[in-house]
Amino acid sequence: MERHRNSVTSKSKSYRMSYRSSLGAAASRLGLTPALTGRRLDTRRRAPKSHNITEKVNPEQLALLTKTEWQLSYVTPLYRFRHTQLKSYSGQLSAFIAAGKQQGLAVEVFDPQTAFRVSFSVVQGMTESDDDADTVLIQIHSKPLFARQDEPQKTVWSGLLTCVNANPEYLRSLPEYFICLPLFGSSGAEGLTALVKSWFQQSFDCCFGPLEISHTSLQWLMALWTNCHTESSIQHLKMIWTLPAVPPLQVTYTVNPEDAWELWSSVRKTRDKRGGEEEENCIDIEEVTSFMQGLKSHFYRHFKLDLSAGSLNQVSTALGSAKSSGRMKISNSRYMITTLALLTECALFKMPI
Amino acid sequence: MSLLKPFSKLPGLNSANILLVESEEQFQQSLADALVEETTFTVNVRLAKSLPLPVENEESRPRIDLVVFIINLTSELSLQSAEASLKCLDPGYFLGKVCFMVTNARSAAAPVERLDVARKLAASLHCPLLFAEDQTPDGVTNATERLLTILKVAAGLVPMATALYLSNLTRSTVPPDIEQPSFN
Repeated sequence: MERHRNSVTSKSKSYRMSYRSSLGAAASRLGLTPALTGRRLDTRRRAPKSHNITEKVNPEQLALLTKTEWQLSYVTPLYRFRHTQLKSYSGQLSAFIAAGKQQGLAVEVFDPQTAFRVSFSVVQGMTESDDDADTVLIQIHSKPLFARQDEPQKTVWSGLLTCVNANPEYLRSLPEYFICLPLFGSSGAEGLTALVKSWFQQSFDCCFGPLEISHTSLQWLMALWTNCHTESSIQHLKMIWTLPAVPPLQVTYTVNPEDAWELWSSVRKTRDKRGGEEEENCIDIEEVTSFMQGLKSHFYRHFKLDLSAGSLNQVSTALGSAKSSGRMKISNSRYMITTLALLTECALFKMPI
Repeated sequence: MSLLKPFSKLPGLNSANILLVESEEQFQQSLADALVEETTFTVNVRLAKSLPLPVENEESRPRIDLVVFIINLTSELSLQSAEASLKCLDPGYFLGKVCFMVTNARSAAAPVERLDVARKLAASLHCPLLFAEDQTPDGVTNATERLLTILKVAAGLVPMATALYLSNLTRSTVPPDIEQPSFN
């Protein structure tokens, strides 16, 4: 018996507002409260513009952002998180980690040399709109276990809290003192990640959760990266699929960038031109699925294996790589903003009400 | 191409025939084992990977009372195979004798869009959409019970109730805002 419940409490209504699309297509709600499962990702997206953020962002921070592979999670809005108090947060977090490490396995003697030094820093120049909160970078430095006295501390763990191009109405609908930084990336030891998350949960009353990159988002990333081929070459388009055979079959499917670009542009040309310059910059979900369908049917023609039976695990190009388990690496700083915007949307989508 | 017809053969006495169509051929095994445990009437379970059914068995096959399409949401092929098989059913089946059963709807590997497609498919054909959990024996038992309820009516074993009548109550609907994105 299938009945769809349309009851929504008033508290959750503020988290699920939407506005008319930027192109003016009528999507006015007129007070219709959406059902609990009525959350969908965008079906149209603007083609990624290359932002030259190398001037605006500190080069060290940029290097850190592009060289690390981040494990993604979503975060609910933080209560009373102030960008002005980052120094005190650093002190609190290092004390928390020291206490946490002591409480755990009592293997190492507490030595001030191996103490953890935490630094919070703000990354200026990454926000696209005024409503977004500034990105915060967290780094934990410590000396390796058998280091000499004068060796400098190295970064053992880095974290990233960011919000790029989130829905402004959602941001305005948050209660006072709440800051929305929904995307959290971590790179380093699991134990440190857990400690940092529990400190955040204690101090700012938020919740963390794993963010898997769904099949649709992987397809979007593939299409958006291929779209950028003319400006900065993607060098290869590599996909890793897992097929449910016995034993499970892993397929690595690498496509020449020129061929991928040809397929992508032919998919875009067959779409009816509705005119207007803005329309040309938008990519529909149908184009993305037909791009993927073209790649799959090519594979089937040669190997008689239908990739639809399996699942897409990883997509990587020279501009970055994304795994369905939630690991993400953005290698090119020019498309950092648009990729982070897509991931922010995924994080907001996955956040529980 | 031979269509499967609902009323071309005579029904059996105190028995019901159910056809489980699944492209992975996994859940249908455990479901079939649980379905034949039913004692109040005879349940004949037939399994298929996809339609159309082989022509050789045309004569010996009894009248199929309920066709269940089992769709695994983590695999795109499963959904495509079910959609292709729908074309081989006589339209008479869609008056309450077809049911969709979906597994792994909550899995992280199943994108929300695929569930939307399955929902729209079931709603457009006025068929019930059941969600099942296939990994635990409890889940199999629950799915079996729900299928038996619909099967009894479809086979005509419940007085004063027909499959068409029941389908008005059980058919799945699509939420009105299914097309609208939340965060535009």
